[in-house]
Amino acid sequence: MNEPLLAAQDVSRRFGYRQIFSNVTLTLEPGEVLALVGPNGAGKTTLLRVLAGLLKPTTGSVRRNGTIGLVAHHSMGYDALTARENLAFAARLWGVSETGRIDLLLDRLGLSKWGEMRTAAFSRGMIQRLAIARALVHDPGILLLDEPLNNLDEPGAEVVLQVIDELAERGRAIVVVTHQFERIAAIATSVGYLVGGSLEGPEPIDGRAAEVVSHKYRSLLAGG
Amino acid sequence: MPVADYARVVWAIIAKDAMVEWRTKTAFLSAMVFAILVLSILFFARDPTAVSSLDVAPGALWVTFTFAAMVGLNRAFLLERENGAMDGMLLTPIPRTAIFVGKMGGNLLFVALVEAISIPLFILFYNVSLAGRLPQLILVTAMATVAFVAVGTLLSAMVVRTRFAELMLPVLLLPFLIPPVVSAVQVTARILAGRPLSEMMPWLKLLAGFDIVFCVLTVLLFEATLDE
Repeated sequence: MNEPLLAAQDVSRRFGYRQIFSNVTLTLEPGEVLALVGPNGAGKTTLLRVLAGLLKPTTGSVRRNGTIGLVAHHSMGYDALTARENLAFAARLWGVSETGRIDLLLDRLGLSKWGEMRTAAFSRGMIQRLAIARALVHDPGILLLDEPLNNLDEPGAEVVLQVIDELAERGRAIVVVTHQFERIAAIATSVGYLVGGSLEGPEPIDGRAAEVVSHKYRSLLAGG
Repeated sequence: MPVADYARVVWAIIAKDAMVEWRTKTAFLSAMVFAILVLSILFFARDPTAVSSLDVAPGALWVTFTFAAMVGLNRAFLLERENGAMDGMLLTPIPRTAIFVGKMGGNLLFVALVEAISIPLFILFYNVSLAGRLPQLILVTAMATVAFVAVGTLLSAMVVRTRFAELMLPVLLLPFLIPPVVSAVQVTARILAGRPLSEMMPWLKLLAGFDIVFCVLTVLLFEATLDE
């Protein structure tokens, strides 16, 4: 059996007196794509930040057997730099060779034409594509995506879904926080419901239709 | 991390900050306008029949440097907060101290540039002769700048997540600047008066002490500013 790339054990996080979530346990094997769904304010982003190591869990532990690539709500880039310069800066911090890698990512995310443009002039969709390229610059073992399809047009969303699928096939572990489960259903291998401060699942999707997952999600929201 | 890799990361951060500032020029232009204003206001505020320019020049120079530098220090970590860029750095395996040293290096470059342009203006306004004494002034400027940029960079990282970061920085920073700036003013006054180096040595030793203590402490404390 493969070693899990990501394992969270009884993870809880609190901000002051506010308990965001508690006793979250999950493991991600190579090739697994976990769709994480939950209502606004459920703590999905906080959980992602804990999994990424940007936030310490209040209790519990997170073990990572690979580098992290994170797509968050913000681009993590600099408006005054071009798309290429932003990726080059990230590559330098990760200690990876920029040669070829940046061109490849710009091309894959459909940004080749705008590589030399300062990102201050980018649309939100272009910023989102760049954020995904940035997260992939070091070819991470674990990819954490917070609403990766936000602001993307249809072709852009298709490209991102293809990229996620390809990465999973190459043995990367991926967590996708989403409100658009129907879009992720085709590539997700498991689903977790973060509702009321606890995680239901993750459970395998096993070819179930998106409607089944949506039905269960609605039922959890209703407290059923 | 090997020293060469550490230096490469530090340089990448400095180069990135320099490039951003070169493109936007927001902090630099603000700092220069501020420096020119302070130098001219303090010059015209004195009564030339009662107070010689040499008496007010050292204080004027260091008030200018200190407050102009604060504009850049304020900007240092705001840049990393915009778009969550700091998270992008924290995800990488680079040592946290490399982030601090890189940001401090960028701030030093910024402040050094502001000072390099302010000194000729200072000479022009206050009609001081620095013939043969410019290296001494550069030395004391460099020593004091290292001290206040080290503390300023740390406090900038600390206050960046507060609601009034740009107001908080001067409030927190100024008390820490009193010892190095007072030392720098004392040395500058003696340089402008043409006093021998031996008279400046106690103040220079004090400044060197501040440099060492401030640099070591700020590097060690930086990681604590990153905890949410």
